Amino acid sequence: MNREIYLPDGYTTIRKIGERDGYEVYDLFFGPNHPGMHGNFGYVLDMMGTEIVRVRPNAGMLHRGFEKAMERKKWVQNLALIPRVCVVDPDPNEVAYCQAVEELLGVEAPERARYLRTITLERSRLTAFLMGMGGVGGAIGLYSATYLMMADRDRLLDMFEALTGARVYHIFNVPGGVRRDAPEGWFDGVLKVLDELESNIPDWDKLVFENPVVWARLEGLAPITEEEARRGGLVGPNLRATGAKFDVRRDAPYAAYGELDVEMHNAGDGKADALTRAVQVRLEYEATIRLIRQAIAKAKKLPSGPVRADVGPLHKLRVPKGDAYSKVESSKGEFGYYIVSNGGYTPYRVSVRGPSMPAGIHLAKTQLPGVKIDDVAAWMATLAICSPDIDR
Amino acid sequence: MSSKMILDLFGMTFFYIVVGLTFMGLGRKITARLQRRVGPPWYQSFLDVFKCFSKTSISHNYIMDLGLIMALAGLIATAYFMPVAKGWTPAGSSSIVVILYLMTIGYLGMAMGVSASGNPNATIGISRALALMFGYEIPFAMIILAMISVLGSSSLSDIAMSQAGGIQNWNIIRFPLGFLAAEIAFQAMIGEKPYDHMIAPAEIASGPMVELGGKFLGIAFLLHAVQLFVETGLMVNLFLGGASTWYEFVGKQFVVYFTSMVINTVFARYRIEQGIKHLWVWAGSFAAIQLVLTRYFDIFSR
Repeated sequence: MNREIYLPDGYTTIRKIGERDGYEVYDLFFGPNHPGMHGNFGYVLDMMGTEIVRVRPNAGMLHRGFEKAMERKKWVQNLALIPRVCVVDPDPNEVAYCQAVEELLGVEAPERARYLRTITLERSRLTAFLMGMGGVGGAIGLYSATYLMMADRDRLLDMFEALTGARVYHIFNVPGGVRRDAPEGWFDGVLKVLDELESNIPDWDKLVFENPVVWARLEGLAPITEEEARRGGLVGPNLRATGAKFDVRRDAPYAAYGELDVEMHNAGDGKADALTRAVQVRLEYEATIRLIRQAIAKAKKLPSGPVRADVGPLHKLRVPKGDAYSKVESSKGEFGYYIVSNGGYTPYRVSVRGPSMPAGIHLAKTQLPGVKIDDVAAWMATLAICSPDIDR
Repeated sequence: MSSKMILDLFGMTFFYIVVGLTFMGLGRKITARLQRRVGPPWYQSFLDVFKCFSKTSISHNYIMDLGLIMALAGLIATAYFMPVAKGWTPAGSSSIVVILYLMTIGYLGMAMGVSASGNPNATIGISRALALMFGYEIPFAMIILAMISVLGSSSLSDIAMSQAGGIQNWNIIRFPLGFLAAEIAFQAMIGEKPYDHMIAPAEIASGPMVELGGKFLGIAFLLHAVQLFVETGLMVNLFLGGASTWYEFVGKQFVVYFTSMVINTVFARYRIEQGIKHLWVWAGSFAAIQLVLTRYFDIFSR
C-alpha cells in the first residue's frame, strides 16, 4: 500500500525531514473508543510527535448496514430503522424517506401534517444544534457548555415525548402524513420552551461564543474556501458558513417551508474556519427558533382535519414500481433518500445521501494532515460529523 | 527516628489523603452545581478509590509499578515539609526550595510509570505536563524569590508566620501582583482549565490515565489527592497568612480550591503552546514586575 497516497503536497517533505532527524511516524487510534470521537467510528492517525501526517478513516464498526437492512423490512418497518442513521437529528431521515415513498404512491400529505412535519423537523434541528454547540465546548474542555445545553435539549425532548411518546427516535412520520395530531395545548407548550431557550442565549454567548479561550482554540483552525467546500461536497451550515447561499428549505421547498419565510445566514464570506462554522450554527439556532414560531402561528390558524392521507393498512403497504429521490435540509445539511421499488412489500434498494460522509471521510484526508492531535475533536465538532451517517 | 515521629508521619499521610479526597469530591459537587447538575455525593472519591483497589490490576512492566509508587512517595514526602498550623511540619523543616524540588518527583515518577505503558496518549500527556512545568515554575520561582528577598528566609513556616496579625499583613495584600501570578500558575500546577493539558480527554483520551486501571488508577487518585493538599497548602502559607489551627488551614485550602474549580468550570482549554505562552506572558510578567518592585524599589518590605 502506498503510504503517501493521502498526503497533500508538502507533508511528504515534512515527513522525510522528520525521518532524517530521527523522528518516528507512529499510529495513533483516534476512536472508536475515544472521548473525542462521536460514535462508533475512528481515524487511524499517522503521527509525528503530536502532528498528524496522514489520516485513515476507520469505519465499519456500527455493524448495522442500514441500507441493506431496509431491503429486508416492510416499508413501514423501516421507519423504526432510519432515524438511527443520524441519532442526533433523526427526523429528517423519516421525512425524506416518507416523502420518497409518497412520491411513488402518488399521494400528498395533508396540509396539517405538512405543518406538523415542519415543526418537528425544526425542533429536531434545535436539539442537534444544542448538542453540536455543546459538543464544540466539550471538544476543547468547556464541559459546562455541554451539560447546560443538554439540559436545554431535554426541554425540547419533553415536548417530543408529549407529541410522539418518544424522546429520541420519534417515528412520528409515516407514508401519507404523520401518526397523530398535536394534543391540546401542545403548541403553547412548545412556545413556552422556545421562550426559555431564547432567554438562555445570552448566557451561551458569554460562555462559548465570547469566551477568549474558545476563540484562541477555534480561530484559524481548518479553514476552507467556498470553492473547496462545494468541490468537497459540503452542505448545510458548513457550506453556508463559507458564504454560499444554499438551503434545501429555500431552494427546493418541501413540507410547509414554501409557505414560510426561511432566513439565510452566512457567518463567513468566501472562507470559513472552525470559529466561523461554530458561529454559523449559533446564528441558525436563533433563526430556527423564529421559524418554529412562524410555523406554529400558521398551524394554529389551520382548520382541523386529517393528518394522514389514506394509503391503506401500513403493514400491507405495497409501493408501485419505480424510483424516487427526496431530500430535506437537516441540521448538518442535505439529507437525501433514493428509493427503488419493484412493486413489492419491501424496498428493492434504498440509498442514503448523508451530509457527514464528505466531511468525515474526504475532508479528513486533506484537512487533518498538518493539524495537531489537540484539534482533531474540535475539528470534528465544528463540522458536526455524525458517524452513523458515514457507516451505514 | 522515634516511634512518635513514625506515628506522626503515618497519621499525617492519612490526613493528607482524607483532605485531598474530600476536596476532590466537593470539587465534583461544586462543578456539578455550576452546571445545573446534582452531581455525585461528596464522598464519591473515597468510593472510587476503594473500588479501584478492589479490582484486578494490569501492569505492563515493573517500571510502571515503580514509577507510580515513586510519584506517590515523592508527593507524600513533599507534604511532610508543608507547614500546617502555627508553622508545624512533620519533617521538622519547611524549606521552600526542598518543597519545590520534591514536588517535581511526583511528576517524574508519573512520567516514568505511564511512559512505560507504551501508550502514545500517555506519553503525549506526560510530555505536556513537563512542558507546562516550564510555564508555571518560572513565575512561581520569581514570586518566591521576591518573598525570600524581603524576609531573608527560605522557610515556608517563616513566610507564613510573618503574615500574622491580621489580613493587612497577608502576602495577598503585600504582594498583589505576585498573588495574581501565583493564582494563574496555581491553576496550571493543579492541572485545571485552562491548563488541563495533561488529561485533555477529548484530545488524548485522558493522557496518563489511559492505561491505568485497578490499583494503578487508585494510586493515581491518591496522587491527585496529596497533590491537592500540597499545592493548596502552598498557596495558603505563601499568601493567605498560614494558619493558627488545623481547621483554619483546611478552610483556607478549601477557599483556594473552590476558586480554582469555579475558574475551571467556565473556561475551555488552551492548546499546549498557547497555555505555556499565556503563563509566561501573564503570570511571568506579573511575577517579574513584583520581583523588580520588591527587590529594587523596596516597596513591600516592612
